[in-house]
Amino acid sequence: MSDTTHTSGARKGIDPRGPRFVASITAVLLLVATYLALTGLSTARGSGGWAIDEATLAERAATPGFVLLLIIALLFLWAVVSPRTAPWAVLFRRVVQPRLQPPTELEDPRPPRFAQGVGLFVTGIGLVLHLLGVPWALPIAAGMAFVAAFLNAVFGLCLGCQLYLVLQRVGVVGRPAAV
Amino acid sequence: MSLTDATLVLAALLAATIGLGGWLRWQQNRPRRVDPDEVVEPQRLGADALGERATLLQFSTEMCARCPGVHRTLGAIAAEREGVLHLDIDLTHRPDIAKHFHVLQTPTTLILDRDGVVQTRFGGTPSRSAVELELTRVAAEGAHV
Repeated sequence: MSDTTHTSGARKGIDPRGPRFVASITAVLLLVATYLALTGLSTARGSGGWAIDEATLAERAATPGFVLLLIIALLFLWAVVSPRTAPWAVLFRRVVQPRLQPPTELEDPRPPRFAQGVGLFVTGIGLVLHLLGVPWALPIAAGMAFVAAFLNAVFGLCLGCQLYLVLQRVGVVGRPAAV
Repeated sequence: MSLTDATLVLAALLAATIGLGGWLRWQQNRPRRVDPDEVVEPQRLGADALGERATLLQFSTEMCARCPGVHRTLGAIAAEREGVLHLDIDLTHRPDIAKHFHVLQTPTTLILDRDGVVQTRFGGTPSRSAVELELTRVAAEGAHV
């Protein structure tokens, strides 16, 4: 193995423990967001229907669950647009990585970035549906994103990887076959 | 929703996720015996030949975080054993191959015997010992015929 682990500019891959560290923080945040969404406006019953039906747009946006999920979604966006400057990645490089052994292997940075994009997509749909007044959209989106982040952090499973091929086969991502 | 209900839902979500993770991990180390009707032609995959005794055929994509790790494991196994070849096929631009082998997740690993017949299928990231056990079985079966 070549000795390129700490020369950040020149190295080819990323420390595979980085995305798992980020996924752990994201999973905790998403669990809190799910809890806030479950106890908030999203699932509340009003007079003869869902409380969210009677709420104004500002009231829907001002709920704690929405605000936290919006912050998480913006962090996903940051990690997709500029993975190296994203807050959790910086925290990992500055605080966690110096205390660990140098990585034995480096990983392709594209898959974790794609996974962050999937996270952005799922939480984004939840946020939009919530603003449109769909009950339960917020906790379900946060819960789904939590499952993916938790599986990555604890089991090292990557749902985005499984999803990629399925999406590609139905023609959503990727390029056509080069015959 | 009351705080108690929300906590119960959250506990159920956590339990279901842990259960799902455990099940998926168990599933990955479980070899699936395949109906031996599929003979792989190496030329179709862009390879010159298959292994003399067995072939570890891995399917990957560019967006697959676990594929490089599986690549290293399978590569190390193939390097240790004579007549065993490791092929890693990138499906990112070859949905036709993915469709042909019904690959819905990467990495997927097929173990082919000496004749190129698909014997075993692993979905996900199998442990090294699970692959070695199957490889030994496939290679031994081929030797008796």
